[in-house]
Amino acid sequence: MQLVVNIMVLAAIYALIACGYVLVYRVSRVLNLAHGELMMLGAYLLLATASLFAGNPLTALAAALGLSLVVGILVYVLLMRKMTGEMVLAAVLATVALGVLLRGAVILVWSAQQQYPAQALGLANPPLELPGGARISTCAALLIVATAVVYAALFVFLRFGRWGVRMRAAGQSPLLAAQRGINLHAVYALAWSLSTLTGSVAGMLIALDSGLTGTMVVIGLKAFPAALVGGLDSLLGALAGALIVASAEVLLIHYVDPLLSDVVPFLVLIAMLIVRPWGLFGTREELDRV
Amino acid sequence: MPTRAVIAALAMGAAVVPAVAQDAYVIGVTGALTGPVASTQAPAMEAMRIYVERVNAAGGINGKPVRIILQDDAAEPSKAAANAKKLITQDNVVLLINASLSSTYAPTVAEAKRAGVPMLFASGVCPKEVYPPADPLQFCTTAYASNYDSRAALGFIKETATEPVRIGFAAMAIPLSRGEMDFAETQAPALGMTAVDKEVIPPPTPDYTPFATKLKDANANWVFSWAPWVTQVRTLEALRRLGWAGSYLAWSHLEAEGELARLKDARFYVLGANSLFQEDLPIHREVAEAAKKANAAYPGNQMAEGWIAGMVIEAALKSAGWPADAAKVRSALETVNVDTKGLRGGRIEWTKDNHFRTRQYYRVYRWDLGKSAIVVAKDWAPYDVK
Repeated sequence: MQLVVNIMVLAAIYALIACGYVLVYRVSRVLNLAHGELMMLGAYLLLATASLFAGNPLTALAAALGLSLVVGILVYVLLMRKMTGEMVLAAVLATVALGVLLRGAVILVWSAQQQYPAQALGLANPPLELPGGARISTCAALLIVATAVVYAALFVFLRFGRWGVRMRAAGQSPLLAAQRGINLHAVYALAWSLSTLTGSVAGMLIALDSGLTGTMVVIGLKAFPAALVGGLDSLLGALAGALIVASAEVLLIHYVDPLLSDVVPFLVLIAMLIVRPWGLFGTREELDRV
Repeated sequence: MPTRAVIAALAMGAAVVPAVAQDAYVIGVTGALTGPVASTQAPAMEAMRIYVERVNAAGGINGKPVRIILQDDAAEPSKAAANAKKLITQDNVVLLINASLSSTYAPTVAEAKRAGVPMLFASGVCPKEVYPPADPLQFCTTAYASNYDSRAALGFIKETATEPVRIGFAAMAIPLSRGEMDFAETQAPALGMTAVDKEVIPPPTPDYTPFATKLKDANANWVFSWAPWVTQVRTLEALRRLGWAGSYLAWSHLEAEGELARLKDARFYVLGANSLFQEDLPIHREVAEAAKKANAAYPGNQMAEGWIAGMVIEAALKSAGWPADAAKVRSALETVNVDTKGLRGGRIEWTKDNHFRTRQYYRVYRWDLGKSAIVVAKDWAPYDVK
């Protein structure tokens, strides 16, 4: 039972991060290689708001989430908007540069020291007993719940929401969408802000569960194969990819060798690229465009 | 706090200037100021910088200032090698310092050997090459020493355990940590312990629970971890979340003092060769005040390693005289004998054949729930280094 819980927690982490990659790619065809850094920045923003609103964790959390949305919009307005009309590769390289900048900035502002936002907020993280003798920390349980809520909200938003439909339209054909009067810049800014928000939620919950250092960016990178395995333009794919990668990782740690955990996501990715390069739920057309 | 950190980081940046004419003792550092072990290495380097600034403010050494050129390698071997090459060939440093992960040692040592520049390990674990018979170019000031640490740790567990020991090990997937846990695993049976599991955990990992689950399922009643702090403490926390109630012994990194107080876990022990600042010795107060005065980004109680490195560098350069070159500094390092004033259990004393220390002292601390304070679980115990 504990193994199942471990898989669920890791899958939730990967899925929550991976949906940020998918959102931006699906709408703008840009691989956001700064997603791990934006996730980390979200966690550090929580640390900052925790000191501002000490003793009021909900306010601190809400403020950090609001700031994450703003950061996403700013990334688009100040950087990615300039890439409009340029080669996709140029936009991807811009995200790499953004990542390097954010990593340096975080060290400058918060130092390399291990930080504990939960302590700053005065929150406890007691383990919860589950049937079958399994245990899960409160923050890890919240992470699973948050993943479910985020995915459900995104499915509803993209299918029924006015701006969700616009996002899908812009992703399918920017030209036609623009001709129909859709404000592409607003749609792209929304995609970047939602992507940063979901990544930040993951970063905040991981940091609340086990602490925070600048190395969180690597976790963002480890979630990237989950998005690719599922199909980079499919939210459902990101969910499935996360579950597959997490299952392979946890089971190999348990039954084969813990050292494999570092390479498993990428082994799964290579296997998928050989068998079905566009991912489980991705569309072949999208891959050809890449 | 963030403002102080920015100022300190800018100050650190200010130290990173190209060496011009050799009007100063020029020392090069390649260190993990970012990356997975930065929380241990960066405070040490900041402490060393503060120490050297104090020395310079007091007139320098032999009337000359000391200039530190600091390069971040993010714990990546390729970056460390490039840093070492640049520091040696362009900046003409008389001493190369490594303050990074063990995986960066081989490439930096190779560069130092090619140029005949002495190397000092001032923040990471001491490599075996500094033990007798020592490599002529490699020296180490840090508290932790492969093999000796495991012997001391297992000895403590044997003395402390009240029931047969079923021991698990937790390492980070880096060469020295893995090697040390392999060594400890081979030593345990001779002490009557049963080694039940060994987890080698990649840095960083999103969730330590899968590794902790294996340790718990192996029915370990003790776990020993000798790894960067993040691996040690997150494995412990994951074990506790799983309901594991055994005893956990970890290496006392710079973060240990603050973390013992944060976790308040009576069965969490840290073993190390440095005294904790809660003892409030005069040297502790001096370091803490210097850190405060310098607006350090890290708390004073994380400055022991860097401060000791500064003491040793000062002693060696004083002995090397002026003008100094790499050969003179190497000769001076071979005769270093520094009183750490209680920061470390014992002196830093080097000979031609021993670039570690002749005797290593260990102390174990833990959190006392009754006193709500850190207490000594086992006082200084000496180990001869042969």
